[in-house]
Amino acid sequence: MSAGLRDIELRSRKTEILMVVTALMFSIPLILGYGLLILSSFSKEMVTNLNPKDFIPTLRNWFLFFEGRTAVFGGIRVNIWHIVLNTLIVALGVSFLVTLVGSMTGYAVSRLRFSGRKKFMALLMLLHAFPGSVMVVGIYFLYLMFLPSYQMVRLYSFFFVIVARASLEIPMATWLMKGFFDMIPWEVEWAALVDGASRFKVWRRIILPMVKPGVAAVMLFGFLAGWMDIIYVRTFLVDQTLATWIESNINAEYSYLPLVAAAGTFYLLPTIIFFLLAQRLIFTISATGVKG
Amino acid sequence: MTYYRALSKTAGIVIAIIIIIGIAAGAYYYLSQKPTTTTKLITFVPLTGDFNKDIINVGKALEHDGIKTVQLSVWSGGDPNSIMRIYGIVEAAYRINNIWKQNNINVEIKVSTRYVSNPNDVYEDYINKWSLGQAPDIMANGYTYIASLASEGYILDLTPYLNNYTSFLNQFYPTLINAMKWNGKIYGIPQDTEARPLYIRKDVAACAGLNLAGLADKIKNGQFTWSDLYKWALKVKESGCAPWGLIHRKGSAHPDLIQFIYAFGGKLYDEKTGKLVFDKAAVYKWFVVEKTFADHGLLPHDMMSWDWAKQIHPTVVDGKTLAFIGGTWHWFEWQTKAYYTDPKTGQQRPLTAEEVHKYFYYTLFPSGIKGKPGLTLSQPFAWMINSKAGEQNPDYDKLKDLYHELVFLVVVKASDPDIIAIHSLISGHLPVTKTAAELIKNQTWVNELKNLKIKLAPEVLNNIKNIIEKTVNPLNVQFLANVTYMLEYTTFTPKHPQYPKLASLFAEALDQVLRDKMTPAQAVNFIVEKINADPDLKKSVEIVGEIPQNWTFP
Amino acid sequence: MTREVLGVAKTNLFSKIKDFIRSDAFIFLFPAIILIIVFFFIPIVVSVYMSFTPLKNWNIARYIHEFVGFENYWRFFYMVTHDPTVRPIFITTIVFILVTLAINVLGGLGLAIATFFMGEREAGSTQLLWLLPRMTPIAVYSMIWYYFFHGSAIGTLNSILMSLGIIHKPIDWGQSIIPWGPWLIIIFVNGLVGVSYGMIVFTSAISNIPKELVIAARVDGASNWSITKNILIPLLKWHIVYVTTWQMLSLLTTYDHIFLLVEWGLVNRYYGTTWALYIYNMAFTAAEKDLGLAAAAGVILVIVGAILGLLALKILGFDKMVKEPRGDI
Repeated sequence: MSAGLRDIELRSRKTEILMVVTALMFSIPLILGYGLLILSSFSKEMVTNLNPKDFIPTLRNWFLFFEGRTAVFGGIRVNIWHIVLNTLIVALGVSFLVTLVGSMTGYAVSRLRFSGRKKFMALLMLLHAFPGSVMVVGIYFLYLMFLPSYQMVRLYSFFFVIVARASLEIPMATWLMKGFFDMIPWEVEWAALVDGASRFKVWRRIILPMVKPGVAAVMLFGFLAGWMDIIYVRTFLVDQTLATWIESNINAEYSYLPLVAAAGTFYLLPTIIFFLLAQRLIFTISATGVKG
Repeated sequence: MTYYRALSKTAGIVIAIIIIIGIAAGAYYYLSQKPTTTTKLITFVPLTGDFNKDIINVGKALEHDGIKTVQLSVWSGGDPNSIMRIYGIVEAAYRINNIWKQNNINVEIKVSTRYVSNPNDVYEDYINKWSLGQAPDIMANGYTYIASLASEGYILDLTPYLNNYTSFLNQFYPTLINAMKWNGKIYGIPQDTEARPLYIRKDVAACAGLNLAGLADKIKNGQFTWSDLYKWALKVKESGCAPWGLIHRKGSAHPDLIQFIYAFGGKLYDEKTGKLVFDKAAVYKWFVVEKTFADHGLLPHDMMSWDWAKQIHPTVVDGKTLAFIGGTWHWFEWQTKAYYTDPKTGQQRPLTAEEVHKYFYYTLFPSGIKGKPGLTLSQPFAWMINSKAGEQNPDYDKLKDLYHELVFLVVVKASDPDIIAIHSLISGHLPVTKTAAELIKNQTWVNELKNLKIKLAPEVLNNIKNIIEKTVNPLNVQFLANVTYMLEYTTFTPKHPQYPKLASLFAEALDQVLRDKMTPAQAVNFIVEKINADPDLKKSVEIVGEIPQNWTFP
Repeated sequence: MTREVLGVAKTNLFSKIKDFIRSDAFIFLFPAIILIIVFFFIPIVVSVYMSFTPLKNWNIARYIHEFVGFENYWRFFYMVTHDPTVRPIFITTIVFILVTLAINVLGGLGLAIATFFMGEREAGSTQLLWLLPRMTPIAVYSMIWYYFFHGSAIGTLNSILMSLGIIHKPIDWGQSIIPWGPWLIIIFVNGLVGVSYGMIVFTSAISNIPKELVIAARVDGASNWSITKNILIPLLKWHIVYVTTWQMLSLLTTYDHIFLLVEWGLVNRYYGTTWALYIYNMAFTAAEKDLGLAAAAGVILVIVGAILGLLALKILGFDKMVKEPRGDI
């Protein structure tokens, strides 16, 4: 995403600075908002304006969060690491499934001729008009239909949530990957196919590595979809995830908000890590020499 | 045919994996089934009303049926000090386990818990997990949810059990038992209740030369009404003693501000028809009162948007207002949350019990009509039992009556006087039984609690001891004892499923009135329009009365 | 005669399906087809069916057999036509979708191109910063902007402007400047989240452009602007179409970033609520969750979305963008 195509030579230092300054100006509210959030997580009071008296430095909120507590006094303790693990399982599962299915379907739609191709693509776009909240009743019905015995329900719920949530992202992933596959010249594939490789092998060994930025983007969006999901997780998952835990503990009237700020800040970290990893994975751009 | 090879290879692997997983799952499932017993199972134990006898009989029956462990789950939510809503059940299970141990019954109850800040979230999770078999066996939540839960069959009708436990039932205040009923049957056991006092700052009143002596009685008898409070607030503002005269909650009109409707003799519910009532005259008067306060700078125009932690509580705790419409739990919250800015050090800290006692006078909510007694409003919490309670346990299909009896007995035990009293002393909610109220007045017992000498399950004690440290002291105990009288003047909001919609219309309209976007009369008509626009509301609400033409305030 | 024609048609369809299953496309499409049928089609059918039942409180077992015809739809239309507050909500929805869409697409494009012209470290940090809204739990995200735009002195924006001397009293942004205040806030809050979508898509697309093109242009002395105009944007056409249509459909149905802002009293209720939020509140404010009504309203929303989506595709030249694949030898 950020690495590969850098404007290496002959880049004017002046324009670079101009770009950075403009971006910075537009980013000021963001920087302020998140800065105050992170600051509040280290303070005994929420820091919301520039009143220095509000900032009372403490590490207490973070200790409370890692102990799984919701308040300084009272509240019960939960195993926050277990909750984080649950969220990770869902996020990674969704990311994997979305990337796999998205790249396969995107490839088919981009490179293969099959009847109903255009209609299939339009259908995928229109499916996005169905948000999860509209379909959740139908999906609930499905969940009920296949409900296993009591011992298996927890495992089933994880499996179900991952697959259901991933399915919601397939239209996005397909369209995204199609755009990337479209950019690859035909000749590359022809060469490999002529050499006797199967379609699947060509896809896996040759084409897929050429669309690494696309794969990284889909992986990231898939991870985000799973990590951030509230509706499906809340309705179907037996265990709690960090998202549902934060949501059910943020109450304007009683919640101790600096603790919520700490939880919210922590919540950003895994995705930040995932983003940085995804960037690394696509560092090398395949520069196979077919002039565009 | 390259694609056939590719297809068959991948497909073959996939199919093999599926088969292996299938076999493994099937084997696991099969092996985890208990062998069916051929001996007759005891599925029911007649309840006698003697708790010890009954629990021993139930335990023996479970043991006979081969049950070693009973898994129960309890969910609740609310402010951080109210965790006895969960630990009450944990403690009850602990006590029952001890009784069984003493009687050589080899069965044990294990309780899993969930407690969050939003009780509404708990209710929503309950209803969507119920069909999936994942709802908790016991839930402590607001009594208003009984209407929906009972009508869907999600909770257990407790009337047959309580018919054998009449003396137990009689311990509870009768109005509370009423609140637990739906269609004439009882669906919950009261867990806690509260009152919503009007708090008055003693220092601000003194500064303005206002005499608080006997005020509580005067409000109780209807000799001091909102008109009088208004005059007091004006005096405070004029003498510069505090910037505000009245502060109340933000966001919703329910439940604190609903008291205005009752204060002006209005109704919200018609028992005969089972419908909600929109009383135009009472609501109009309510809006006029608040608007008058706001117009004279006594109540903020944007009151409904104030921030709890950074505006509302600091304003009240720092003495910047004469009066605050609050709840009994606030007395305790001010001692556990850092809302007070210490004038000597400039630091933010909680108030001490002495300071809360020094600064705050508390009375009933004044009436709006001279001679009409003051009132308060309670939102009791109820223990509700899942209609499929115990379903996580072996042989549920055959033993469900037995499991239901057990869970009922657990809730009975959780209503032990000391458990209720502890909850009250650490959270500021009020006790629901007369025995618990007596226990709170027992100095010796309270001292034992403060010194952590009460016998409790270790898990429970560990989790409440730092709250006990902060909140159990004579001044707080005295407060609880002093506010108990308010329960005799209490009111409830209707248990109708459409009520939350009506309540949110009140809040919307009130906000517009306070911001000068609508006059009180326009606001009342706006609510009528909105009621008529919603088919469900239209058929559930009776609109009564007229906007009074010549009514002035004060 | 007809029988033979039908017979021929049937065998045609049958052989078409057989051919399809034997083709390469089938292997690649199989997982998606299964997942779409199971997790889209079936639930949609069930949800549509449920919109004809009085489903409440998730009690499917009880209400699935009660068929009430179009009553939920009737209730929905009744409420919409009688509610005095519907007009501002309608106008707000249109403004919200159009402006946020423009911000999302242009902002995403702008960020992607700007980071392209930056050094690697600055580019990475900028992208990460702009991704934060998408990574934040919605309740926490709402909390940040609730405090940022709060109408009293505790609000971040107010305190900055006051300390700079630009204003002397705090301004109640969301409640006193009608309608621009609430509009600004809800568009801003949603825009920040939406921009990152386009940014990632466009950046990835730009990454895939062969280095040689840009280097060659540089060597020829092309300026940043002409590189953007002549190389980057033309190669991003597909992605721009995709992002625009996609975001439009998302904006039509999104409500969770606005829900808490209205709930907490930050923005005026009528100019801070969009259709999607209005519908959500309609079904979920009562103590009983009116899922039948929600399904009916959802169906209507989806039909509107589908029509708009198809229109958008037509206008943006979807047909031309979908080139015929030449992948088969």
